[in-house]
Amino acid sequence: MAEPAPSRRVPFSWPALFAAGIVVYLLFRIHAVLIPFVLSFALAYLVDPLIHNFEARGLKREHIVLTLYLVIAVAIGVAANFLLPAMTSELSLLQGRAASYYTGIQDTFAKLQAEVAQRLPWGRHIVEKMSLKMYNPLMEHLPKLPTYILGLVPLFSLLFLVPFITFFMLMDSKKFMQQAIDRCPGRHVEQVLHISSEIDTSLGNYLRGIMITAGIIGAASYLGLLALEVDYALAIAALSGVSSFIPYVGAIVGALAGGLVAFFQYHGFAAPLKVVALFTCIRLADEALVQPLISRHAMHLHPMVFLLALMVGGKLFGFIGLLFGVPAACVIKALIGVAWDYYTSQTQAAGHLSPEGVEVPYI
Amino acid sequence: MLEKIRGFFIDKQFIRKREFLKSLSIFKGLSARELGQLLQMFHSRTYHEGETLFLEGDIGRALFIVESGRIELTKNGPGGRKQPLAELGPGSFFGEMALLEHLPRSANAAAKERSVLLLLYRSKLDEILHGYPHIGVAIMTHLARLLSSRLRRASESMAARGTEPAPRDEAAA
Repeated sequence: MAEPAPSRRVPFSWPALFAAGIVVYLLFRIHAVLIPFVLSFALAYLVDPLIHNFEARGLKREHIVLTLYLVIAVAIGVAANFLLPAMTSELSLLQGRAASYYTGIQDTFAKLQAEVAQRLPWGRHIVEKMSLKMYNPLMEHLPKLPTYILGLVPLFSLLFLVPFITFFMLMDSKKFMQQAIDRCPGRHVEQVLHISSEIDTSLGNYLRGIMITAGIIGAASYLGLLALEVDYALAIAALSGVSSFIPYVGAIVGALAGGLVAFFQYHGFAAPLKVVALFTCIRLADEALVQPLISRHAMHLHPMVFLLALMVGGKLFGFIGLLFGVPAACVIKALIGVAWDYYTSQTQAAGHLSPEGVEVPYI
Repeated sequence: MLEKIRGFFIDKQFIRKREFLKSLSIFKGLSARELGQLLQMFHSRTYHEGETLFLEGDIGRALFIVESGRIELTKNGPGGRKQPLAELGPGSFFGEMALLEHLPRSANAAAKERSVLLLLYRSKLDEILHGYPHIGVAIMTHLARLLSSRLRRASESMAARGTEPAPRDEAAA
């Protein structure tokens, strides 16, 4: 008769939990400093499969990374050659028309106010309330728009810092990982690597998924806006693509920005409606065609968890928190999965359920 | 000259490990490219003499392949004495049942001398199965054959001793 499996306690340590809490608190306190590192880590994660692909052919990692950076530098140079003139012309167009947009918005609001005041009962009261709550603050902030855009300039330093840090992460990530494995006590290597493998798989799939989504939404928006002959197609497409990092937001931002531009460009509702229809189609195509392909192996989060992750991330870390709230939730879910797996393995050990048909003799 | 240039770009250690994988029966029939892809999924760890890989009762997570050195498998006997089960050398692999189900190991494993081992995890095997089905099928087919052979041997052994098979199959190390 088989001996019953000895009961094992799930390892739990208050000091370890306390230490983890302190680490999380410290990370929260210095999160602003960590932003370039977190972005670099995400970028390295995205590029790593490409490097793996060449490593599988027996090429040295450092040569692949150097070649990749050279290729990207050349690609950026070529793209800048084509994109910079387009961006410059879009910006100069915006500069030239900014005043007319400003007065256009004022006129539209004035007309709208007059219409509402005239046609609706208590219209004047509604207009006064609306002016107080929406119109006045908006018109106060609108002239400050260039200042706000200039406020984003420090973010451009990330454009140089992130690739620089990513370079070293790509070069040395394997060495760091190997050192960590070698320093881990032999008996725990299996469990530690199991956790890291689970996180690696879910996080990697998620990050690659949102990058592909952002790229596709950006490209589709650009082509669609070009076809509709809407001004600032490149800027709106870029805005829509970048916003897609925050799930569901990309198409909404694109539709709002594109719709506004189309409204002031064509002075009617037909063009904005076309733009909204375009972004609705892009969103539906993304949901029907792209998401099933890229999220097949990615971690699935319940929409409520998804929203909670976005809100908590945004509250704690601002814009970066919005970007990384969901990946962080993926990591937490992977850790819970590992803990649950550990627990079920323990209970299975006591009463392991054999699959159906196991009683049939081996013949 | 061409060879020197090639040598500059080629990772010799990677090629050596790939050739090692090629020599194993579990990866028989895989092309050099597929073996290269597979090698990306492995973790490598050097164990010092006497260092424990896992103990009986630890939850199994990975398949171990001995690249160099010697690994001793033992089972806990009465009075806490360890009974030797097997000694494995380069090219041997063990713990493969962890790729199928996460159950406690049924034996202890420790390095008898300085040994280098390659570890493959279930999550990585899943990646292989989805990303490179040809490699995944080759591994799973070999595992199925291995299980079948072990079961046949166990059945024959029990029949020879005239004993009934145990009601529950125990997880292999």
